[in-house]
Amino acid sequence: MSTLTGARRTDGSRASASAAISMREVVKSYGRVRALDGLDLEVARGEVHGFLGPNGAGKSTTIRILLGILRHNSGTVRLLGEDPWSKAVPLHRRLAYVPGDVELWPGLTGGEAIDLFARLRGGVDRRRRDELIERFDLDPRKKGRTYSKGNRQKVALISALASDVELLLLDEPTAGLDPLMEAVFQDCIREAKDAGRTVLLSSHILAQVEALADRVSIIRSGRIVETGTLSELRHLSRTTITVGLEHDVPALSETTGVHDLVREGSRLHFSADTAQLPRIMRALGEHDVESLTATPPTLEQLLLRHYGKEES
Amino acid sequence: MNLLAAYTDDGDRTVHGGPGNSPQTGHHHGAHERVRRGRLGEGNLAGLGHLLRFMLRRDRLWLPIWVIALSALTAYFANAIAVVMDSDSLQAMTAFSKNPVMALITGPGYGLDQVTIPRFIVGMYGVFLMIGAALMSILTVSRHTRAEEQTGRAELVRAGVTGRHTQLIAALALTVFMNLLLSAGMAAAFGFSQAEPDSWSATVLFTVGIGAVGCVFAAVTAVTVQLSAFARAASSMAGAVLALSFVLRGIGDMSHVSGGGSLDWLSWLSPLGWSQQTASFTLDRWWPLLYSVGLFAVLVVVAVVLQSRRDLGAGIVAERLGRSQAGPLLSTSFGLALRLQASSLIWWSMSMLVMGVVFGSFTGPMDEGAAGMPPEILSIMGGRSGVVDGYLGYMALYFAIIVAAYAVIAAGGLRSEESSFHTEPVLATAVSRAGWLASWAVVTLFGAGWLMAMAGLGEGVGAAMSMDDWSLLWPTLLGHLAQAPSIWALLGFAYLLYGFAPRLMSLSWIVFGASAVLALFGGLMQLDDAILDLSLFTHIGQYPAQDLSAEAVLWLVGIAVVLVGAGMVGFRRRDLVTA
Repeated sequence: MSTLTGARRTDGSRASASAAISMREVVKSYGRVRALDGLDLEVARGEVHGFLGPNGAGKSTTIRILLGILRHNSGTVRLLGEDPWSKAVPLHRRLAYVPGDVELWPGLTGGEAIDLFARLRGGVDRRRRDELIERFDLDPRKKGRTYSKGNRQKVALISALASDVELLLLDEPTAGLDPLMEAVFQDCIREAKDAGRTVLLSSHILAQVEALADRVSIIRSGRIVETGTLSELRHLSRTTITVGLEHDVPALSETTGVHDLVREGSRLHFSADTAQLPRIMRALGEHDVESLTATPPTLEQLLLRHYGKEES
Repeated sequence: MNLLAAYTDDGDRTVHGGPGNSPQTGHHHGAHERVRRGRLGEGNLAGLGHLLRFMLRRDRLWLPIWVIALSALTAYFANAIAVVMDSDSLQAMTAFSKNPVMALITGPGYGLDQVTIPRFIVGMYGVFLMIGAALMSILTVSRHTRAEEQTGRAELVRAGVTGRHTQLIAALALTVFMNLLLSAGMAAAFGFSQAEPDSWSATVLFTVGIGAVGCVFAAVTAVTVQLSAFARAASSMAGAVLALSFVLRGIGDMSHVSGGGSLDWLSWLSPLGWSQQTASFTLDRWWPLLYSVGLFAVLVVVAVVLQSRRDLGAGIVAERLGRSQAGPLLSTSFGLALRLQASSLIWWSMSMLVMGVVFGSFTGPMDEGAAGMPPEILSIMGGRSGVVDGYLGYMALYFAIIVAAYAVIAAGGLRSEESSFHTEPVLATAVSRAGWLASWAVVTLFGAGWLMAMAGLGEGVGAAMSMDDWSLLWPTLLGHLAQAPSIWALLGFAYLLYGFAPRLMSLSWIVFGASAVLALFGGLMQLDDAILDLSLFTHIGQYPAQDLSAEAVLWLVGIAVVLVGAGMVGFRRRDLVTA
């Protein structure tokens, strides 16, 4: 396995055959509604890739196209170097999928469902399965209809994690899990990464993505609007700065990269383009700054910036 | 508070009877009324009126459909029998009155030795109307109680100002009301029919008996919904009680008509038996219904007590634990398809076998009764001479139609799997679409053949026993089994629709219905052969009465294979239904 190149954004013109997932200009329409509108997504092998976006942005549609369950209208899709629609069966031997809303058969027990999915994928690591059941604290003898949402989710997770596969496609996999189980899940994903597996993690839990993802793609209205490592994304966004200053700094409003400048008593508030921080700090340095706080953007702010675009 | 509770536990009755007879009647009543109002206002039955109105609104289609459908069925039986039967053919039916198999299925047969049209209808069809009322009650009570708890809606209702027992009592009140409407509707349907019953009181006794069965099974379901946490299981339990009631009174009635049997008393252990023992138009006795009233009251009390002892959403009977690991069957998509259809196949197998034996055992009486049969019916059966072969051949067609209904339902299961999002995770594994469709289809195709074999086996054994001629077994089995290809062709059509347009799958019911009607009644209606040939069921031949057409078998098998194959192609090209 080559070294992780996650931090670098893959060159758009070079379709890398070695990428785990490569989607170019993918369009998927339902009648007149464009669920995916020229989506580009690149996931390198061995990386944990966070996949973020508001409800209805096209996350699940993207994953289902990667599974060959939905057929895209145009664009190119390569999964582990193959076409996921025509090569669905051989590809599915190499991947495991966890949907966000797991429906189990009411009459089958959790244990039976775990084994069934793993066997249909090509085999189950018995020891690993039992260990995961233990770690996720699941009673595998209960019937599907008696499980709560969280427990149904565990069934799909255990089955996926117990399979020896190259790629995990996880669509909001921990919805309904309690914080303890969330921690177990994060451990399992780190182990999967250590074992060289690729993970596409669609999620709403930002802390989870921050903790696990090497790179993040943000999808909005069927397009990827941002891709990169978290620090790259932060770089592209603004830091909130509060400065204690008795007098105004007229030059500041002219400095590129300073936005929303307001005075509140003896304090100046503004947001600064993270890339322009050195210049702004120099501009401030000539004045008698009494206090200074700088808050780096949270993932949440990053997201809100993209999610909220429609309004602004 | 305890005192109040003690008072209120039998509140309703105390208000109207009991202590009310003391000198200070008025004062007493006042006190009780207060207590009672308190109970309705804040106690276990709070919100009863609101909830009942809400249930009536929810059931604004469900309630009239049940009542009208069952009343219409009564009208159909009453008018059809009155029109079809003249006094001669009616007299020929007295032969049935001492037939134990007939008694097993229909009832004690009061008054059939001096049969009139109303007596015949009551004796032959009464029990089926009672079963209809019982099913209506079981489904209605379960739908308003356990189904609500299972989906979590009951929690929202109970979080409002409603009492612990409000939902249960409201559901029971609704169901009793439905049964009252049903009794009235059936009485009108029967009373004004061509059957022209001479006594309104006997007519009303008959239909109230039917309503009584409905009420008893409402109360039975009120108990079973306390036991299981799942609506389907609760309905099944009540259904099992209904089946047991049917069997108990069947054995008792068999013993009764055989004369001097020692098992007559079994009929008196069955709610169906009580209503049948009213013997309207013969003995006209009301008192057996006291048993129904008594059991109703006891079961309602039991239900309320059980409900007080359990948590919302929980059952009294805990869900059994299953296997912690999958057995070897669950290793392939075929194994999964088989596992998912197994319980339905087992039930259908048993039903086909039992129905086969029952219908087969009519062969003897049919042979004896052929002399007195109306010629139109006789001609369907292949004429006087070949009545045994004719009957067995006709039953092969009859079972083919029943099993075809199974086949359409089973094929529809594949669509339910997809629309309830079970198919998506299966196809996300290394199972191809064609493979999944083929797995499901193979189970249903073999299932249909297997069920025809079960029906044929039962029919053959029943016929052989009743005619004391075991050479009937093999031709009967073959005749039934040979019908399978017409069912396969229908299945092929269903899978073709699944592959290309799953939303149109119900079109296969139209093909089924048209084929069945043409095959069953096309001859009677003297339709052109070209039209009859449109039916899937008219090509193979009703063996042993007619020859089997190998050509038709090959054609139908070929059609089935091509259609299933086309369905696979279609399924591979379309999007899956996803959440």
